[in-house]
Amino acid sequence: MARDARDTKPEGGAAGDAEPSRAGHLGFVAHEIRNPLSTALWTAEMLARMTVADRGGARGEKLSAMCLRAVARVRQLVEDHLLCERLDAGGLPARVEAVGVREALDVVLEKHAAEKPDADADPSLGVEVDRGLFERALEALVAVAGTGGTHVTVTARATDREVALIVTGRPAEEAAMADPVKGAPSDATGRALAVPLVRRLAAALGGALAVQGGSWLLTVPRAQAYTPRSAAPVPP
Amino acid sequence: MNRPLVLVVDDDPDILDAICDILDAEGYRVSRARHGQEALEQVERELPAIILLDLMMPVMDGVAFAQALRKRPAATDVPIVVISADGNPQRATAVGAVGYLAKPFDIDALLAQVAGITAPAGAPHPRA
Repeated sequence: MARDARDTKPEGGAAGDAEPSRAGHLGFVAHEIRNPLSTALWTAEMLARMTVADRGGARGEKLSAMCLRAVARVRQLVEDHLLCERLDAGGLPARVEAVGVREALDVVLEKHAAEKPDADADPSLGVEVDRGLFERALEALVAVAGTGGTHVTVTARATDREVALIVTGRPAEEAAMADPVKGAPSDATGRALAVPLVRRLAAALGGALAVQGGSWLLTVPRAQAYTPRSAAPVPP
Repeated sequence: MNRPLVLVVDDDPDILDAICDILDAEGYRVSRARHGQEALEQVERELPAIILLDLMMPVMDGVAFAQALRKRPAATDVPIVVISADGNPQRATAVGAVGYLAKPFDIDALLAQVAGITAPAGAPHPRA
């Protein structure tokens, strides 16, 4: 089943109430991109001014590492910004299917294996979402909660209609839900747009993002019929 | 020769590293701070010849820092150059800055500003 993200965009609620001033949001994006862009340009220029021999030395390696980190940061910000723009425009097609929560979490936790996050989710629990958008939202929340090396735990809890993913790590603040995020320090990992992005993704998935007791709370529709892959019959 | 001390204030660790590396390679002494409060502590330790100041920072932003700095009799004349990603040079006026550089700025423009402020006429470059 395919649907348009516009179909699930709420009229009001958390996402609607926090509808950003576009100029303010773009100003925030520009500010966040300019910092790593500056680092990338400066370090590249400093490397270009060094002799080939010096580039292979300690300072050259340090500048190279800084340059690559800055480029990765710019790329992450641009990717998140583009997805925010597409979601705001309401033109993002969503392929809704029954997705295993544990299955999606395993994909996300694999990307953050170095930080050793923990997950508690019943393997039989399914959600009715677009798999790609759901994994993207979970990944962004795990990244934000894990800022500064904080240990992250993801717990899934279900009601009849919804599944709540509780992501606990670095304490979540209500102020981070504002758009643009005022007074926030520059994010050295390039995830400055992660929360605005998840807020939009949650709405597109037919759910919502909230802060509850210092944790992130992502709710999405529960799948009424889901068969875990491990429980499916093995073909002969 | 006593090399001039440059205080760099920015909440972005990569920006701090990059600017400090550039200035260090030019022969300046460099101190760093991640926000206005840390910068005031640095100023208490040693008065810099110039302050490169970001404006948007947590804890204490650039405007609040500049106001607090000017209340210290010893620091009233320390020149400030604003380094900002907000693209609004008028905000430099609000902190009484002598210069404004919009990120990403040209490295030579940064070095020219710093040299022009820290070097008395005819004085040798710190690297000399």
